[in-house]
Amino acid sequence: MKNQWTNYYTGYVKVKAYGRGAERLINMLTRRGLHIWDVKRVGSESLIFHMDFRDIPKLRQVMRKSDCKVKFMQGKGVPFLLKRVMKNSGFLAGLIAFLLCIFVLSNMVWGIDVQGAKPATEHAIRKELDKMGVKIGKVQFFVDDVDTIQRKLSDRIGALTWVGVELKGTTYHFRVVEKRQPKEIEKTSPQNLVASKKAIITDLFVKKGQSIVNVNDYVGKGQLLVSGVIGKEDKPEIVSAQGVIKGKTWYKAEVKVPLKTKFSVLNGNETSKHYLKMSGFSLPIWGFKDPGYEKQEKETTVRPFHFLQWELPISYKVVTLRSKDDIVRSYTKEEAIKEGKKMARADLQKLLDEEDEIVGEKILHESIENGKVKLSIHYQVIEDIAIGQPIIQGD
Amino acid sequence: MARNWGKKMKQLMTKTMDLPQDVMMDLPRITMIGQLHIYIENHRGLLAFTDSEVRLMLKNGQLLIKGTAFVIKTILPEEIMLEGKIDKVYFINE
Repeated sequence: MKNQWTNYYTGYVKVKAYGRGAERLINMLTRRGLHIWDVKRVGSESLIFHMDFRDIPKLRQVMRKSDCKVKFMQGKGVPFLLKRVMKNSGFLAGLIAFLLCIFVLSNMVWGIDVQGAKPATEHAIRKELDKMGVKIGKVQFFVDDVDTIQRKLSDRIGALTWVGVELKGTTYHFRVVEKRQPKEIEKTSPQNLVASKKAIITDLFVKKGQSIVNVNDYVGKGQLLVSGVIGKEDKPEIVSAQGVIKGKTWYKAEVKVPLKTKFSVLNGNETSKHYLKMSGFSLPIWGFKDPGYEKQEKETTVRPFHFLQWELPISYKVVTLRSKDDIVRSYTKEEAIKEGKKMARADLQKLLDEEDEIVGEKILHESIENGKVKLSIHYQVIEDIAIGQPIIQGD
Repeated sequence: MARNWGKKMKQLMTKTMDLPQDVMMDLPRITMIGQLHIYIENHRGLLAFTDSEVRLMLKNGQLLIKGTAFVIKTILPEEIMLEGKIDKVYFINE
């Protein structure tokens, strides 16, 4: 006997045979090798049976010799089901279009919510977001990812100390902390001004108080510069001494500059590869070629697709390959010294205030060790050396 | 006379060699499962089929099956499987 269950997939028809000699028809069909099943008698002169729909041409041949008639009642199985689906394809298309709509809408930006910012800052943030393309109605894939937005915002808007960017569903939430400019604390408490480090005084500007030192005096650390005690000796008055005392101070810096340095530099060549990622497997959809960079840096961004509030197991992956060159930079001794001076000066500048001034530099010592130029440099800097020291009054 | 002789030879062969008789002599092999199913091999065609009666051609004579609610589950040139409630099975020899 034949396997019956495959009939469903190949498709079969329900046939009604009527007229005399329906039994003979069945005999003829079976002798021709047709597979016939579920034969039933309905009424006195008709039979219903099932047969494979691919055997219909054979049935037609047999019918010519037979004196009864057949009628196809119903087609069953996958081929007929498909046909019906095709007929009702409008519904299917509608369903797919509907799901597609929801899918697209689920991946759009639907809200931007800024919290914790003053109206002015909020306006600035929204303007900046507009520039970046983070707008209501944009598709999330074409918008920068959360980390990038965060970085750009804090780079571009000075008033922000910190901005937290979070993407919840279709809404971007921004939590903002603004910089608070510290108020000048008024120094009203009685104080002296003392030297913060050893220096030679170059300039004195005393707003309040009695200056103790003069220009070109050498002062040590902690030495009294401007006294807060003024007035006559028998009737002293204690004030908060204030002023700017510029002094020449000294710094010593040591730098090492290698004569040969290896660098990795991105040379600007890059290719992007796009993938659809499904739980561990990545299906490439664009960018199949291997660019064949000798050395490269790889950056991978993965963005999940959303459907309503759910994250789909499918995500969109972009791999960016950036070509990298190795560069060996070599200095002559003179260049190295020059470079070392520059570096040391830049380092020193970081330590100093803006108003401070480097007035002199002198190389104390230079040597070459293990392919490195070692320098020790002496700097003269003019800076404000005065710091306040409260006067503690006795009873 | 010669035909009879051949038939006798066949019978002798089956007896001595212990071969199944339906194979050698073209007899129908009928398998029944209670009253529910009847499975007939070696038939020669359907003669009549109604809800309550099925007539099958055999090599010699006919087979008549009576019962109710008959459905032919499968039919092949030499095999037939009948389903329903089977009451009686007759051999009609001409």
